[in-house]
This record gives sequence, structure tokens and C-alpha cells, in this order.
Amino acid sequence: MTGPEHPFAALLAEYVAECLPLAEEVVEGALALERAWQEGQSADELFGPLKGTLHTIKGNSAMMGLAGLQNLAHRLEDLWGVLAADPASRDAGAPLFVRGTGLLADLVRGTASGPPPEGAAADYLEEVEAFLASERGAREAAREERRSPDRRTSDRRNPKAGGEVGADGAVATIRVDSRRLDALLESFGEAMIAHAGLGEAMRQLNRRRGTTGELTQLERAMLGLDRTLKRLESALMETRLLPISTVFSRFTRLVRDVAHSEGKRVRLEVAGGETRLDKTVIDRLGEPLVHLITNAVTHGIEPPEERESRGKPAEAVITLRAVQRSDRVILTVTDDGRGLDPEAILRKARALGQAPAVEAPSLAEIFALAFLPGLSTAQRVSQHSGRGVGLDVVASSIRALSGNVSVGSEPGRGTTFLLRLPLTVAVLRSLLVEVDTERYALPLVDVAETVRVLPETLYQVARQGMMTWRGEVIPVMDGGLLLGGGAAESRRYCVVLRSAARHRGVMVDSLLGHHEVVVKALDPSLGRPPAVAAATILGDGRVACILDTGRLADGWVEPVAAAAP
Amino acid sequence: MVSDSILDFAAQLSQAPAAPVIEERELHLVVFRLDREEYAVPIELVREVVRVADVTRVPHAPAHIRGVMNLRGRILPIVEIRTRLGLSRADVTPTSRVVVVEVAGRTVGLLVDAVGQVARVSERLIAAPPEEVRTAGAEAVTAVARVGTRLLVLLDLERVLASTTSNVNSTAPSAASQP
Repeated sequence: MTGPEHPFAALLAEYVAECLPLAEEVVEGALALERAWQEGQSADELFGPLKGTLHTIKGNSAMMGLAGLQNLAHRLEDLWGVLAADPASRDAGAPLFVRGTGLLADLVRGTASGPPPEGAAADYLEEVEAFLASERGAREAAREERRSPDRRTSDRRNPKAGGEVGADGAVATIRVDSRRLDALLESFGEAMIAHAGLGEAMRQLNRRRGTTGELTQLERAMLGLDRTLKRLESALMETRLLPISTVFSRFTRLVRDVAHSEGKRVRLEVAGGETRLDKTVIDRLGEPLVHLITNAVTHGIEPPEERESRGKPAEAVITLRAVQRSDRVILTVTDDGRGLDPEAILRKARALGQAPAVEAPSLAEIFALAFLPGLSTAQRVSQHSGRGVGLDVVASSIRALSGNVSVGSEPGRGTTFLLRLPLTVAVLRSLLVEVDTERYALPLVDVAETVRVLPETLYQVARQGMMTWRGEVIPVMDGGLLLGGGAAESRRYCVVLRSAARHRGVMVDSLLGHHEVVVKALDPSLGRPPAVAAATILGDGRVACILDTGRLADGWVEPVAAAAP
Repeated sequence: MVSDSILDFAAQLSQAPAAPVIEERELHLVVFRLDREEYAVPIELVREVVRVADVTRVPHAPAHIRGVMNLRGRILPIVEIRTRLGLSRADVTPTSRVVVVEVAGRTVGLLVDAVGQVARVSERLIAAPPEEVRTAGAEAVTAVARVGTRLLVLLDLERVLASTTSNVNSTAPSAASQP
């Protein structure tokens, strides 16, 4: 393995030379003990030296940084302690102990060619752990009976809140106030922005001075910093991930309560609760999910009689499912109720003057309209029960997390809401573009492709720009118009945005490359501008808006001429 | 030691009885200029006054929001207080400043033409706004203070900012169609 490369190869050889005889001694001792016990002897004289030898092996292993061996020796010491104190434990404990000493000797021997792999004795350690725990339980029960609890050992064994003590007696896990993690994340964000600033300054220097030795050195240092920040990011993210079950768990009751008050029978099924997400996402996910689930029960699901008359089981099922796809988590809320009525949605949208521009909108395009303010059927819910808000609010809170939501439905069969959420909240991989001298960041997950467009390939259909992209005719919008400015014929680059319904192109002046940007929430004073999801600070210290690509792609942001206001 | 005597002095100060009774309360006001008029806000609401950095436009932002600015890593909304008070929009000049205020838990920047000195104004000199200042955005004017020949217009920042959160954008026909 890593033998020859190990920095302390010579020391390792020395360690083996010293410890192997000791380990073999322990094996001998353990076997002798087991034999003696089987023959009904106490063999107390064998105990003392065994303990001392184990302790020496533990110490030497710790010095060499061989944590696995150190743990194992430590656990064997614990086991020894139990066997010595409690003859009743020996029947089950002695074979375990013998096996452990054999494992110890093997690992020490193997160390001659490199440190043992991590977790080499994991299975065994688990077994010992279980044994020790059951012994502890038995002893504590016995103590309870005698009404003389030994506080000292139980305190040592059950460390107080704040941490868990690992096998080697060191603190293995600690509890940290989540606000400290947030502060850490914020500082990390600032470091990222400072890093971007350095990079920008370096590029300018490079342009002005040309490449010099110092610049090359600076570049190398920057690359190193880059890598370190990436590692820091993933380590930081890892500390912030929580299983989504922490938010799922409250819904069983919610479904029961709402169903009860509505006179319906509904069962909640949950899958993928172990999927992990950033704590911030989890914290802010609760409310939109409550809305979706409440709406599903009150709206989507039919009363039991109606279900039965349609040949469905009286008890409806709502399924909450989470699954991770690369750096996104997909969350679905599915009910087997009556489904959405595309005709009704289209009617309402037309009444609001929000009908889709295309002549024959697809089902996906119609369902996308359900998230328009003032349109969602959920508004009727709020009149009925004073609970629930429009789907537009659900959508905006998901978008505030750089996620997006879409809905699919089959009339009579049910409805599925699909939420795509980022795994992390700190940095967002984005495409930077320029429109009318302002720069905007577009989340890369929503960018299907960027293409250079020649004027003759763009054509107008019913005052709507169209182009052919990968054999598909897609609507193309002017970036300036979308972002409250003016149209310009001069834009040559098209960013094709992904959408559940239909891809859409946005024309921009220039593409400024991929950047990892730090997401900063928009101040509430800015209201909820439809095209903007959040903001970020770029390398030159200027603020750039992060566009709500989900909304742009679904065509929720209507282009306006600058003259309109 | 010197430091000891200073500490003693400090201790005495902190234990000293409240300052002698002031006969009339004084308001400390941060005064800024819009065109030729002088406006004022209580100093307690002002966090700092900074130069105008690059302001990024936010598409479809509320009407009186000029954009956002980077204030030491924090994204600060910039309120176009001129248009809010019925004046025309103006360019940023070398004297332009951003007055960073904290109102109702929100921190925003007010873009003003220039910032003057802090004025101490006796409460006695503060009166209800006369007819001539009741122009557009007048509900934001709480009072005026006459200081010598100067007339300071006191603003109620909560009212100034309350109306800036309503979105003016193209995709709210539902909101527009409602009364």
C-alpha cells in the first residue's frame, strides 16, 4: 500500500518490531485466560500483565498516528475491564476478546507494509460496542435494584450534551450552534468575493503589464487559494447538510389533521427521508411544503364517496419523495386526487390577461400558468379555511432558494408538484451575461446552451421572436425588454433556458463566462421583482442580480417596452 | 498610575447624577439637500453617510428604488428619495451621498444631492408643515423646523419607505385589476 511512501516508513518498521511481540503476548494471554475460565479457574494472575501490554500497544499506536490500532487496543482494554470485573460476562465476552487480540496482532503485523486502512476493524469494534452496551445495561439494571447507582462510571460513559466521546477518549463529535455555522458560511462568502476581487485585479494587471515572473507567481498562488476555497466550501457544506426527514416528519400529523377537518381519508407516504440538504434550505422548505400538502388534501383529493364512485380506494395517498440528482435535490408531492383542470386554468389566465402567447399551448405550458399570482385554485382554499396561500407564494419561496417548482397533472388521476432545490446555498454556479451594460448571473442548472444567433435565423410569429434550436422552434425574447429596458436588434447571443414546459431563448449583448457567485438575498424593500431571484457581489465589487431563470423560462416575465411606465 | 486616575474619573462620570435638567429638548438632525431645499431626519435613524458607489439597477423593482449598492459586502437598496418626494430624478454628482438609515428593522440608503452638518434644533422651533411644502409626497413630511433663515423639512422615514415596497412591474395585471 502506502508503505514506501509513508513519511515514517523507518519508524513504522520500528513500531512493528516493538509491538508485534507484545501483540502476540496478548494473544497468548487471552487464549490462556479463556482456557482457564473454561476449566473453572479464576486465573487472576494472568490479568495484570495483559492490561499493561495492551496499554503499551495503545500508546505506541497513538504515537504513530495509527488511530485504528489505537482504537482497537483501547476497546480491548475496555473489554478486559468488563471481563475482570464481572465473571458473569466471561461466557460471551471471552471469545470476543480472543478474537480481538488476534485481529490486533494481524493489524500490527500488516503495518510493516503501511498503516492499516481506515475502518479495518470497524465490524469488530461495532460488535464490542454492542457487547459493552449490553453489559453496561445489565450492570445498571442490577445497580438499580440495589439502589446504589454508580454515578461516576455512568457519567463518564454518557457524556453530557455537547459532544460524543469517541473510542479513544477524545471528543469525536461536537454540537455547534447553527448560528455559528451561518456566520461561518457568511465569512466564507466574503472570502469568495474577496477572491473574485483578487482574480479581477490580477487579470487587469496581466492586461496592462503582460506576463511577468511575479504575475506567474501570483497566478500560481491564486490557483492554490482557489483549490483551498473549493475544499473549504465542500467541507463547510458537509457540516450544514441535514436529512430532509427533519422537515418531513411533521407532515404525517398535518395530513391527518387537515384530512379530518375536511372529512377525507388520506394517508401520507414518505420516501427518501435520508436525502440531505443544506440547513437553510430545510428551514425554509417547511412552509411551502405545508401549503402544497394542505392544498393537496383540501383541493386535490376528493371526498371518500366521490372517490369510491370513480372506482378509486376511499383512502387517498399523498406521497412525499426526495431524491438527489448531482448537485440538486428533487422533491415531489404527489396526490391521487382529481387532478388539475387545464381548461379552468386557461380560462382564468385569459380572464387575467395572462394567456400564453402561443396558439395551442401544451399541457405543461398551461399548468405553468397555475403559479401566476391571482390564478391558483388555492385561493379558494383561503376563503374556505383561512389557510393556505396562492401557488405563486409557494413558487416565490422556492425561487428564493434558487430552486424552482413545476406541476404535472392527469385529470382524474392526480397531481404532482416537482421542486428542484440546490444542495447548497452558499455559491451558485452561474453564467454571467451583459444586457444594456448591466451584468446578470444566470444559474447554470437552468442554462441549456448558449448560441450565437445570426439575424436571419430569427423570425417573427405573431409578434413573438422565434428560432430553431436543435430542431425545435422556441420563443426568443429580448433581454432588454425582459429586464425592463429597451429592445435592441444588436444582441447576438442567445441563452437557451431549460424549462419543463418549453425551452426559451433570451438575447443578451455578451457572455462573460462561468462564475461561482455568492448568493445574497434581496432586501424586502425591493419587493418581489419577477425576474430577479437574488443578488451577488462580483469581483469588481459591483452588485449583479441573479436572474430567476425558472420564471423567465416559463414565460412568467412579460417583456415590456421601456416606455410603458 | 495615570490609567488609574482616568479610570477613576470615568467611574465618577458614570456614577454622576443625570445631566442638569435641560429646559427644552433638542433634536439632533442629519440635514441633506435635494435641489435647494433642506431636508432632515433624526440622527438616531442614520447609520452612516457614504459616497455613492456603482448602483446596479434591479429589473422591475418598485418605483422609487434606484437599485442596489455594495456596502462592505452587504447589498443595500438605494431609495430614490427625490422621485419619492415628487422631484425629478437627478444624476449622481460629486456631492451626492447615500444616507444609510435603519427604519423599522430595514436598512436602506437614501440617495441625496448633498449632506450638510448635523443640526441641533430646539423642539420649540418645530412646527406643523405650512401649506407651501405640502407638495407631492407630503404625507412623508411630518414637520418643519425654522433655524434662523433656514427651513428644514422633517421627514417621516417610515412613511417615505412604506410606499416604496409596492412593486411596479409588468406581470401584476392581477394586482392592477383589483381596486
